[in-house]
Amino acid sequence: MTITARQREGFTMPELEYRAQCERVAIVPLHRMERLELVTGTVGPFRPPQKTSVPLWLAVMLKRSSRCRIVPPEWLSYEHLRARCREEDQPDSLFTRLPTHYLEVAHILLANAEDDLVDSQGVRRLLQDLRETRQSKTRDGIKMLNPLQLQMDNLSAAEINEIRPLFARSFDMLRRLDALAATAEQTQHQSQFSEQPYSELDDSLGSSYLH
Amino acid sequence: MAGAGYYDIDDILAVQERVPCVLRVDLDGLGSAGSGGSSKVHRNSRWALPLWMADRLNEEDYVDMGVSPVFSKRANRMYVASPESIQLRAVSQHFYQFGLHLGDLVPDIPHVLRDMYMQRVQRIARIAQQGHNVESLDFVQSLDKTEANMLRLCQQAQGSIADWQQNKAYTLGRAPTIP
Repeated sequence: MTITARQREGFTMPELEYRAQCERVAIVPLHRMERLELVTGTVGPFRPPQKTSVPLWLAVMLKRSSRCRIVPPEWLSYEHLRARCREEDQPDSLFTRLPTHYLEVAHILLANAEDDLVDSQGVRRLLQDLRETRQSKTRDGIKMLNPLQLQMDNLSAAEINEIRPLFARSFDMLRRLDALAATAEQTQHQSQFSEQPYSELDDSLGSSYLH
Repeated sequence: MAGAGYYDIDDILAVQERVPCVLRVDLDGLGSAGSGGSSKVHRNSRWALPLWMADRLNEEDYVDMGVSPVFSKRANRMYVASPESIQLRAVSQHFYQFGLHLGDLVPDIPHVLRDMYMQRVQRIARIAQQGHNVESLDFVQSLDKTEANMLRLCQQAQGSIADWQQNKAYTLGRAPTIP
């Protein structure tokens, strides 16, 4: 298998989607089923109409064979997302709190369980709005770039992945430039000192202590 | 001089950039390498040598290495004045990497490069997110190799989410070894 240039820079979206499928969601089973022994743990038993929490991939599988109804997570509702959108729109606000894999989970649920969501079109629209607002915020974030650190709370996995090449490379460049500036300053200092006679050197040392 | 970019082809090409040098010794039989036609090259004649060669000869005191016109005082002032409108590609294909190599020669370089990089990278990020338009065309054509590379990567990263949302991304499959 060949590794594409994109894969070298970080995750690809299908890989992130795969990771997001391990997130837990609640389902309401439509059939009785015994517990399932999986490598990652035991799920079930399934007793309709009791809610059970299962990994997303299993929920999608059961949903496809119409054995369950998926209960959408609390944050994936029109009201909740609209509140988030408003928060996000506030000037000078930070990123609002959303699950790490919110884009991926929303995508999977919208593709596979649209009938279980209330107002799926509205949700879709709000997600798009959220994403665009957050994108412009990350763009503003690059102004704060420095060679030491960068903090952006509540950024999701896909969004981090999106800006990874930009920030990684800029960090690298700034770090190299700073190291260069430091050595250039050092050599300058050394050459200054070596040209000065000793008495002046003492003076300059003394004054630098005073400051 | 060897550093992080040992395996980076662009870093190797960057040291191919020529710098002005002044010869400190008479060289016999090397006239064909320089500008003159005669077989002898005299002391104090000027030579433009690739950086990798000039740096070494400078250490051995065969030549005096000067500052490349790319980073002359006047050029630096220009970079500070209008970082976004410089045609970097025309100045040097490997502008930043060349600058990194010359850093110990001209103490101004790190600061000039840093300010310039920050300004231009912000514009690159904007273009990657919003797509090309007529105004950005000039700017995109002025990018040096480092920046052009960055723009390409950013555009790929931006496009990958959109592609995936429209189900255009590839799907992960089972490895052939798994039955």
